[in-house]
Amino acid sequence: MKQENIRNFSIIAHIDHGKSTLADRILEETRAITEREQKSQLLDNMDLERERGITIKLNAVQLKYNYKNEDYLLHLIDTPGHVDFSYEVSRSLAACEGALLIVDAAQGIQAQTLANLYLALENDLTIIPVINKIDLPNADIEKVKKELEDTLGFKEDEIILTSAKRGIGIAELIEAIIERVPAPKGNKNDKLQALIFDSYYDPYRGVVALIRVMNGKIKVGDQMKMMSNGLVYDVVELGVHNPHPTKKDLLVAGEVGTVSGAIKNISDIKVGDTITLVDDPATDLLPGYKPMKSMVFCGLYPLESSKYPELREALEKLKLNDASLEFTPETSKALGFGFRCGFLGLLHMEIIQERIEREFNINLIATSPSVIYEVSLTDGSTINIDSPVKLPDRVKINDIKEPYIRTNIFVTSEYIGPIMELCQNKRGIYNSIEYLDKTRVSIHYEIPLSEIVYDFFEKLKSSTKGYASFDYDFIGYKSSNLVKMDILLNGEVIDALSVIVHKDFAYNRGKVIVENLRKLIPRQQFEVPIQATIGNKVIARADIKAVRKNVLAKCYGGDVSRKRKLLEKQKEGKKRMKIVGSVEIPQEAFLSVLSMDTEE
Amino acid sequence: MIKACYIHIPFCSSICSYCDFCKVYYHDKWITDYLNSLEREIKNIYQGEELDTIYIGGGTPTCLNIDELKRLFEILKIFNISDHLEFTIEGNIESIDKEKLELFKTNKVNRLSIGVETFNPNHLKFLNRNHTTQEVTDKIKLIKNSDFDNINIDLIYAIPNQTIDDVKKDIELFLSLDLPHLSVYSLIIEEHTKLYIDGTKNIDEDLDYKMYKTINEMLSSSGYHQYEISNYAKDNYESRHNITYWNNDEYYGFGLGASGYIGNIRYTNTRSIDNYIKGNYIYESEKLNEIEKLENALILGLRKTKGISISEFNNKYHKDILNDEIVKGLIKEEKLIKEVDNIYINPKYLYLSNEILIRFIK
Repeated sequence: MKQENIRNFSIIAHIDHGKSTLADRILEETRAITEREQKSQLLDNMDLERERGITIKLNAVQLKYNYKNEDYLLHLIDTPGHVDFSYEVSRSLAACEGALLIVDAAQGIQAQTLANLYLALENDLTIIPVINKIDLPNADIEKVKKELEDTLGFKEDEIILTSAKRGIGIAELIEAIIERVPAPKGNKNDKLQALIFDSYYDPYRGVVALIRVMNGKIKVGDQMKMMSNGLVYDVVELGVHNPHPTKKDLLVAGEVGTVSGAIKNISDIKVGDTITLVDDPATDLLPGYKPMKSMVFCGLYPLESSKYPELREALEKLKLNDASLEFTPETSKALGFGFRCGFLGLLHMEIIQERIEREFNINLIATSPSVIYEVSLTDGSTINIDSPVKLPDRVKINDIKEPYIRTNIFVTSEYIGPIMELCQNKRGIYNSIEYLDKTRVSIHYEIPLSEIVYDFFEKLKSSTKGYASFDYDFIGYKSSNLVKMDILLNGEVIDALSVIVHKDFAYNRGKVIVENLRKLIPRQQFEVPIQATIGNKVIARADIKAVRKNVLAKCYGGDVSRKRKLLEKQKEGKKRMKIVGSVEIPQEAFLSVLSMDTEE
Repeated sequence: MIKACYIHIPFCSSICSYCDFCKVYYHDKWITDYLNSLEREIKNIYQGEELDTIYIGGGTPTCLNIDELKRLFEILKIFNISDHLEFTIEGNIESIDKEKLELFKTNKVNRLSIGVETFNPNHLKFLNRNHTTQEVTDKIKLIKNSDFDNINIDLIYAIPNQTIDDVKKDIELFLSLDLPHLSVYSLIIEEHTKLYIDGTKNIDEDLDYKMYKTINEMLSSSGYHQYEISNYAKDNYESRHNITYWNNDEYYGFGLGASGYIGNIRYTNTRSIDNYIKGNYIYESEKLNEIEKLENALILGLRKTKGISISEFNNKYHKDILNDEIVKGLIKEEKLIKEVDNIYINPKYLYLSNEILIRFIK
C-alpha cells in the first residue's frame, strides 16, 4: 500500500459517549466484520470491559476502504477512556495522525472529552469533531455544536453528526477521515523506529507488542532491540488485526501492526518504548517515553489464608497482560500473607480486584488504598513509603510530603457550592473556576491524592446527582502535617486498618471509622472495644456488644431440612469473615476506614 | 421403625401477620378435594406401623367444620395406634367449640395445642389475632371441662413495642390458666409475611434476651422445666411427638407442605394446593448420607436441655460421640457439658445455641 493511502486514527471520548459502538460501526461499514460477528463492541475483549462499558486494553484494527476508486488502509487504534490510563492513551495517540473526538449529543463536552482532546492536541493530531447519539430523544445537537464551536474552536462545517446505534453518518465519517487526516510522514528507508503503544500476552506467541512503524521497516527474521533497556529479540512473527489476526512478512513506515519474538516477560516491553534493529540501530528514542509509575497502593489478602498461592498465581497471570500492575509479598499481623499491589489509579485497582474475585474465584480482603509518601527523617535521609504500616516512629520523622493532584471537575454552575464544600473537606486548595459557557464550569482545586482515594468519586456523584465529570493531573509533592492512626480491636492493633491522616482531620476520621466498624462488625461472643489511637493517645472509642441471641426458636412441623439450611447459611456467612485474634471481622470492615461519613 | 405421624391442615380463616407456615384461606370448595387427596397420600405411603404419636398441625385444623373434621378422623382410622398414643391437634381460640371437643375425644385426641400468642389486645391486633383474654379463659375452661388435661398454649414475645412488664403479664396470665405445657417463641420476622413486607424491625437483641431470662425465671419458679429451647412443661407433660424430631427419629409427614423422614430420606411436600390435590405431593426430597445423619442427630439432639444420651447415640450410629473432635473441643470450652450418660449445651449458652450447632456442619 502506498504510504499516502494510509490513515492512522483513534477515537477519543468521555466514558459512555459511544466510542466502542462507533468503532464497531466503522468496522461494519468497511466490511471488516460480518453482521453475525458483530457481537456488539468487538474491540472490547474482556467481559468486564463490556459489562462496565469501558475499554481497558487498547486494540488496533486494520481496515480497507475504497474511496473515489482508490484503496485506502485505515488503522483504527482504540484507546481506554479513563484518566488512570492517560499515559497509555497518549502513546496510542502518538501512533496516529488523526483522532475522532466523540461528544454525546445529549451530554455535550465532559471532563474526559477535554482531557483526551488536550492529549491529542499535544500529539499534533488532526481532530475530527463528531456529535454522536443524535437519535436520542433528548439530543440537543445545536447546543452541542455551539459548545464545540465556542469552547473548542471548531467550525460548524467540520462537525460530523452520527448515530452509531442506528448507523447514521458512518460513511460520511470514514470519508472525512480519508480527506482530512494526513497520511503518515515517516521514511521507510530510514533506520527503524517503531513505537510500542500497547502489549498483551498470548499463550502461544508470548508477549505481543502493538507497534506503529514511524520510520524504516521491520521484517520477520530481523533482530530487534528495545531502546529503553537494550533487550534484544528475534522478530518471530509480524501481523495485523483486520480484525482477525493475519500474519505479515514486513511492516513499513506508516503501518500499524503486531510484533512477537518469544518474549516472556511483559515488563520488558514498555509502552512508549522504541523498537529498532540491532544491525542498523536508530540513535534516538521516539519522544514521550515515560516509565510507568504506580500511584495508588493497597494490600490484597485472600480471605482464606490457604488461597495465598492461588492469589500469587492470579496476580502473575494478570501481570502477563498488564505491565502497570505491581505487586510484592507483604505480611500483616491481622491478615496473614498477602501482596502489596501498585496501580495506576483507583479504577485500575478496582478492576484488578474484581478480576481476581471473578475470574480466579478468590475472595479478597483489600486494605484501604494508600499513596506514596515521601518521608524525610531526622538523620537527613528520605524514604518513600506505600503503606501506613511502614511509617517510621514519629520521633524519627522530620517531614512528610504527599502527592497532590489538580482537579478538573465539569459541572453545571448550580453545583459549584456543594463541590467547593466537598473539596474543602478533602483538604483542597482552591485554584480557579472557569466558565465554559453561561451554565457550565470547570472547577480546579489542588487536593492530596490520598483524599481522592477516600470516597471522593461517590461523594462527587451524590452531591451533583451524578452530573459532574471528573479528571485530574498529578502535580507533585507537598508537605503535610500527617500522622498515623491505628485501630485497635480488643486492645490489639489491627495493622490492616491503620491509616495516614492529616492531624487536623484525625479526630473526626477516628470517630467515623470507629463508629463504622461498630456498625459493620457483628456482635461477638464477648464485648469488644474498638479504639482509634495516635501514638498512645486514644482519640475515639466504641464497643461491639456481645451476642445475646443466636437461636432458631421454632422448628416448623418437623421441617429439619429447613432448619439445617438456615444453619448452613449462617455457617457460610461466618466463612466470609476474617478471624483476627478472636474477633470475627467481615470483609467490608477493612474498607470502611475509607468512608468519611458514618454508614447508614 | 416409624412411630410418629404429622398431618398438616393448612386452612385458616384469617392470616396472622407473622406466619410463614404453609397456609391457605379457608374455603369450603377445597376441603373435600384436599381431604380426598390426603387420604390417597396416606394410603400410598403408610406401611401399617403402630404409631405412638399423631400430630395434626396447621394452618388451623380446628377451623374445619364438624362434618369436615369427621371426614378427617374417618381417614385417620387407617392408622394402627399404640395404647399410650399421644394425639395432638392444634387450634385457635375462636374455632374451638363443645361439639368439636366431643368429636376429638371420641377420636382419641388427648392433647390440644392452642395458639394464644399474647393476651395483650394491642399486640394481638398487631399479630392479626382475633380473641380476647376473656375468651381465652372461657375456652380453656371449656376444654378442661371436656376432659382434656394435656393442654399447651403458644405464646410469642419480642413483639415490637412490647415491654418487660407486658411479657410478665402474659406469663402471669398463662400461669393463672394452670396448664401443663407452654411453647414460647420470640417473634421472628420471616420473609413472605405481612410484618416483613411492612418492614417491621426486630426488637433490640439485649431486650429480647432480658425477656427470655424473665420468662425462664418465672416459669421455672412455678414448676415448669424447660426441656427444649422454646418448650416448657410440668413433669411428664413434654410433647412426645416433638421429641421425635429432636431425637432424629423417623416420622411420617402428610398434607400440604408437610415434611417427613422415612428411611434415609427427608422430604418436604409441595406448598401448592393445586398440585397437592392433583396428587403431586413431593416438592423435594433428599437422601441423607451417614455424615449428614450424624450432624442432624447432633444439631437436633442438642436443642433438648437434657441433650443427647451418649449410649443411645453410640448404639444408633455405631460411633463414639465422645471421640468426635468438635464435641471434645466444645466440652473443653465448656460450651457442652458431659454428665453421666448425657451431653448437653451449657445452659449459659442455650440461647446462643446456633453458635455451637453450626460447628457441626461441614
